[in-house]
Amino acid sequence: MIAREGLEELVVHENVRIPARVADTPRYIHLPDGGVCEVQDNDALDAAHARTRPDAESRADRFGRLRHRLDSTWRGAAAALAVTAAILYSFTEWGAPAVATVAVAATPPEVEAVIGDNLLTLFEQLRFLEPSELSPNRRNELLAAFEEMCRETGIENADLRFHSVGAPNAFAVPGGTVVLTDLLVELAEDDEEIIAVLAHELGHVSGRHVMRRVAQTSSMLVLWTAFTGDVSVATLSILGPDRLLAQRYSRSFERDADRFAFDYLLSAGIPPTRLSDIVGRLSGAGREAGARAGGSPLDWLSSHPGAAERARNAEEAAKQADGGEPADE
Amino acid sequence: MTNEPRHDAFNERSGRDSASGDDPDSMSLGDLLDQGGEIGGLVGEPSEDDTSGGSQARKLRFTADGREYFRIWIVNVALTLLTLGIYSAWAKVRARRYLYGSVWLGDAAFDYTANPVAILRGRILVATVLVLLWVAQLFSIVYYYAALLALMPLVPWVVVRARSFQMRNSRHRGIALDFRGKYWDAAVWYPLSWAASLATLGLARPFTVFGRDRFLVEESRFGAEPFSFAGKPRPYYGMYVVTAIVVGVLYVGGLVALFVAITASIMATGSDPGDASLDMRLFLLAMVAIAAAISLFILAYLRTRLLSYRWSNTRLGEDTFSLALSFSKMLWLYVSNAALIIGTSGLFIPFARIRVLRYVVGQFSVIQTDTERMFEAGETQSVAATGAEAAGEFGLEIGI
Repeated sequence: MIAREGLEELVVHENVRIPARVADTPRYIHLPDGGVCEVQDNDALDAAHARTRPDAESRADRFGRLRHRLDSTWRGAAAALAVTAAILYSFTEWGAPAVATVAVAATPPEVEAVIGDNLLTLFEQLRFLEPSELSPNRRNELLAAFEEMCRETGIENADLRFHSVGAPNAFAVPGGTVVLTDLLVELAEDDEEIIAVLAHELGHVSGRHVMRRVAQTSSMLVLWTAFTGDVSVATLSILGPDRLLAQRYSRSFERDADRFAFDYLLSAGIPPTRLSDIVGRLSGAGREAGARAGGSPLDWLSSHPGAAERARNAEEAAKQADGGEPADE
Repeated sequence: MTNEPRHDAFNERSGRDSASGDDPDSMSLGDLLDQGGEIGGLVGEPSEDDTSGGSQARKLRFTADGREYFRIWIVNVALTLLTLGIYSAWAKVRARRYLYGSVWLGDAAFDYTANPVAILRGRILVATVLVLLWVAQLFSIVYYYAALLALMPLVPWVVVRARSFQMRNSRHRGIALDFRGKYWDAAVWYPLSWAASLATLGLARPFTVFGRDRFLVEESRFGAEPFSFAGKPRPYYGMYVVTAIVVGVLYVGGLVALFVAITASIMATGSDPGDASLDMRLFLLAMVAIAAAISLFILAYLRTRLLSYRWSNTRLGEDTFSLALSFSKMLWLYVSNAALIIGTSGLFIPFARIRVLRYVVGQFSVIQTDTERMFEAGETQSVAATGAEAAGEFGLEIGI
């Protein structure tokens, strides 16, 4: 490359590779003899390149030019933003659930059981879970109902554990273990309500929802890392949208589990509204506690559909089964 | 802002030099740029060179523009997503070329020359290891730690590889930086020093960080000219003591506040059952808040002080450097950036990075005693450094 008088007569030699242009930063051209030439006038360099070596353009050169056109104009940036938004949206909507289905199908049940056991051990160590204070008789009654339910629905890997926690609750962990808390047993008006709650949790077990949720959220984290280019920044920017997304996934799992419960309850001759009865009381208790603790700053973390919606769904399920008869309490 | 060299540090140096005699060494532009990389500049003012008492302080200029960088970034993101991540290596090089090309010393900007294919190879290797670790921790935390332990012998190799790759691909006026660290030195200052820190319950940590800094600086070169390090262990102890106190206060204070809040809410609700998992969620949320406050402090105070100290005690031939970052300014940048990044679902990231860089680069200056020489010292020996380039087939970039 030879530069004379302000680059108008610049000649680009065929042995010289011109690096792609990045905005208007200077370009360094490495000469075959080991020398280096710095060019700050990017327009003149590009013009000289095109003028003196019109047919020597490599694929890389062409891509470099296209790339510069893309990120030197707002139109290019807008197109990139649209593509990014479309990919993020479709991945969230269809990609992540599909990835989760594949990942969960590929996870052997033994692995899932190990994960679940680790989780329970951790909860016990953190004292979130204390030993249950229910009498052995009471536990055996509930266990019998649970086993009956597993037989009816053909689920083999489920088991039920009793624990004392500071709140009425029931939850499923990976591997099929369902945890029922003493306070929930107390809160229930009768065993039908407890069976309804257990059927709901069995719905989570049958859909392997916890594993699906882990797979969906981690595949989202991978995607957001690609988006932000940095894991630490990804975790930061994911705080807003991802929390909402995770909760949206979670709410759809809850609806699935409710449907599973309704089906079982109908087959067992229990009105589906028994589930929404106890759910209503549970969330009422929760809201009261939240209000007393000073408003409900944790609402955005809500992982379950509203109690009203779940009650409506239960009534509909009952109506469909009874051919339109109003569901009894 | 001051361009004064840190006289205290400089005066202490003479005794040090001989101790580390044959270690050449270094510090790269990458360190500066990575400071901005953690959380996210516009046209810098023209440099006002300070001439006083025969030495000349030349400030770095930063000419990047947030909007320009945003466009490069968003096109990078779109192409990376479209190619399922393959393009990320090219994206990295393009973003770095823009940032390096926006940092000026005198009338020349820096140049980033990494080969994207090498970076891609490095990323595939790292991703494979991370996936294996992730799978291991699914089974048991014991496997996970066993796998981590098994990877330890690789750490020094990775450190040296990553560092030389980064340095050899950073140039100014065509002269590349270089890193000549040896495996066993890296082994001492990385895995072995971690073990020493653990064994001494952290008491050895400041010293090992000092040793690591000296290793990194003194094994680096600009062209053929080695850098040297004038730092002392004592200031490291100072920085770590302050950090330990503040982190302790944040941690203990946060936990106490949390337990008071939980107890108060339990007493207020009486025997009434609360929300299903309210306590657990409140607890997790508070832990996240405490962790965030602690990492923010470490970023704005410890990392900033370490970076400033390291650079301010580095010299290259007759040239010295000065980096004076203010804690409150860095804290403000990080907090406001974090808020804006969350608020814009990440779209503010490129602007945030430029904001931090504009400040950090603007605080950096090169103090030259021999003004004739003007930082071009390595020029004649630059060929030696280019020969080493062939060794960089793996573009490992890991922040350790």
